[in-house]
Amino acid sequence: MEVNVNDVVLPGDRVSSSNFSNLHKSSKILGPGLRLFEGQVYVSKGGVLKQNKLIFWVESQKKRYVPASDEFVIGIVTQKSGDYYKVDIGASELASLSYLSFEGATKKLRPDIKVGDALYTKVLTAKRDMEPELVCVDSHWKKGRLGFLNTNGFIFTCSLTLTQKLLSKNRPLEKMAENRKFEIAVGLNGRIWINADTEVVKPLINTILELELLSEEEINKNCSNIFSKNCKI
Amino acid sequence: MEIDNESDDILRPMRCELNYLANPDGSVILSQGETVVVASIYGPADVRPQKVLSDRSYLEAIYRPNSGQSMVRDRERESFLKCTCESVVRTVTYPRTGVSVIVQEIQDFGGLLACAINAVCLALLNSGIEMNCVICAVSAMVSEDDEIIIDPDHIKLKTSKGRMTFSFENCENKIVNSYTEGTFTESQYHEALLRCKLLSGQIFKMFRNTVARYNKC
Repeated sequence: MEVNVNDVVLPGDRVSSSNFSNLHKSSKILGPGLRLFEGQVYVSKGGVLKQNKLIFWVESQKKRYVPASDEFVIGIVTQKSGDYYKVDIGASELASLSYLSFEGATKKLRPDIKVGDALYTKVLTAKRDMEPELVCVDSHWKKGRLGFLNTNGFIFTCSLTLTQKLLSKNRPLEKMAENRKFEIAVGLNGRIWINADTEVVKPLINTILELELLSEEEINKNCSNIFSKNCKI
Repeated sequence: MEIDNESDDILRPMRCELNYLANPDGSVILSQGETVVVASIYGPADVRPQKVLSDRSYLEAIYRPNSGQSMVRDRERESFLKCTCESVVRTVTYPRTGVSVIVQEIQDFGGLLACAINAVCLALLNSGIEMNCVICAVSAMVSEDDEIIIDPDHIKLKTSKGRMTFSFENCENKIVNSYTEGTFTESQYHEALLRCKLLSGQIFKMFRNTVARYNKC
């Protein structure tokens, strides 16, 4: 079946070439859920076909993380082996994190990371035939907001779709933070870390999990209302 | 043989709920008439070192009957489901991983294998795994007086002498596999195949509506 942008698509559907006709021939970018086969673009996931300028992708439900480079994830250190930490990021295998990829770390001055610590990290390389590699610094070797997550915080999991919605351009988390104070780290691997007063933690988790089935617009409109309602209970 | 596009056969009503279980990456409960099946997917996940494949993911299917131990018949269904899944899932996208497909039978009132295949396909769609195409299955039977009945229930199946299940894919609407039991003639097989094929569009439509319902944007 031929499909267009904003249609509901199933794997095996062909994206009709009229969608690409006003773009330069070699300039389209195929995101997740699309593949090129014999010059035609085919869908490989069930969801909704989306377009932003040159980029095409399929928005779908997902719970299992497949690493992709430059994504921010929350990982838990599970092993120390030689010069590397092995970090569980919820993917099919453990990711490796060099102890040198922390700000200010040298061969003599190792970062103080123990097994069981939670880290907010960035995926450096993610190839399907290789182990994913993480870093805790940006391209200027500054740590920025990456690194160790405070043990006072609380980590819980949700679907990957929800984390993407929370980090969308509308910034729903900032709206929720207008009245209550909390610290949050959202990993694109479906893990969320929260550090807040005990009376805020529970309503905040409930609010985030309630947003799961809402669309982006509805989240934008209602998130602060839902949060203040949950705080009163 | 000529069969016009408007078929008189009707499928039993299909109802489903996605995200039925909390832990799996994709799960669904599907009912076709009174036949009910729960399917769940784990993956692409960790896999035991001896089963790792370096060029594609290791796919396993587990079929659980509604009571008792799994018997030879269930193992047969398992391997049939495994073959079906391997033709659908793009296993080459996830090398060195494992994908588990688990099907739990809840109620069997005819057309169980077709219901299981449809449920697996919905669960795969729910898990967001890369797929080549979507498949659906339709069952049919040949009664003692040589009449072909599509999607029969357990009462009709009591008078059957041949039973068939066909799976179709949505790309070119071709047959993927067929599973047959009992006796029937070649022309009966081809007639049942054509009549089931006409109904496959309805199931794909239902899949599409389900995906739309769970992907509000």
